[in-house]
Amino acid sequence: MTAQISEKLTYEGRQLSMCSEPLSDYFALAGIRPSFESNCTALWRGYVGSWEILENRLYLIGLSGTLEDGTEATLQTLFPDFPGRVFAHWFSGRIRVPEGKMLDYVHMGYASTYERDLFLDIEKGVLQRASVRENGTSDTPDAAEGYGVGAITVFPRGMKDKED
Amino acid sequence: MLIYLYGYLAIGVVVVVVIFTAHLISRTRESDFVKEMQDAIYPERNTLRYRILNIFVIPLIVAVAGVAVWPAAFYLKGKEFWGGKEVPPPEETEKEFSVTEGDLLETLSITEIETRERIVDPMGATPDSPFGHLNAAWLKFKETMEPQDSISSFSAQWSPRWGSEQTLAGYVIVRDGRLESHFLTARRPINDD
Repeated sequence: MTAQISEKLTYEGRQLSMCSEPLSDYFALAGIRPSFESNCTALWRGYVGSWEILENRLYLIGLSGTLEDGTEATLQTLFPDFPGRVFAHWFSGRIRVPEGKMLDYVHMGYASTYERDLFLDIEKGVLQRASVRENGTSDTPDAAEGYGVGAITVFPRGMKDKED
Repeated sequence: MLIYLYGYLAIGVVVVVVIFTAHLISRTRESDFVKEMQDAIYPERNTLRYRILNIFVIPLIVAVAGVAVWPAAFYLKGKEFWGGKEVPPPEETEKEFSVTEGDLLETLSITEIETRERIVDPMGATPDSPFGHLNAAWLKFKETMEPQDSISSFSAQWSPRWGSEQTLAGYVIVRDGRLESHFLTARRPINDD
């Protein structure tokens, strides 16, 4: 399984990569699963959510994806009455935000290791605690900063249609 | 002998033209989302150097190579079209969670549950109803109740086939002492590092 593209998070004015998927909890608890098209091996879930922590609350503020019928999915697709902002009260758990240079690339899920992990502990959508774990220092001074995936395979739409 | 070589190269030209046409067709059908995603992963896609390489140099090299070794190109393109793609991890075959007697916490009335589970958000980003964005699932759960049923809250440890051990919480219908359908309100990994 290829390393996965992260969710986006705005926290304390910074744009971060979030290696947690609160929407999967929503789908599990609400008993729904929209048919997102998986366009590439680095995005099996088929969407990228944009999140924000504002006033210590976790909000979903955007969604990009394509449904299997070819239509573009947005926040309004999932939450028609809340097209701009959705309070993620269903989520309790730890959000991991890798920061710094990559120490060890793992071509699977969110398993790669970075210099630091910012952990945000959320209880029913409310931030309880933020902590940082130091994982080490990169030996490569010019290595790129921040989360990334090493390689992906993109599926052409024509190929997908053929399978259908 | 030369006639065979010309024939071979002529077929190669046809194969390359067909493959490039198919490639152009599939490119135009890419969604904006895929394009944005690729731009985010490979920011260099938008540089002049990358575009020259991608639009002119690489196609030219591929075309020349394709004419020379077209059976290989034909095989690879055919494999792409008819060979299928990497299979995503299975989701549907997860074992099914069920509540047990030992998971039960307390018996509550509908009114008590709906009062304690009302979600309030200062920015108004959730419905003003019990369980907020999960309200539709709650209403569906309530529809399965029969007049003599009661509801109990529960908290259970769950080890899914994939992923880490979790604590699941919610409500379950109790009917004549038997546990019926449940409604999940929280899912939390136990070791979350």
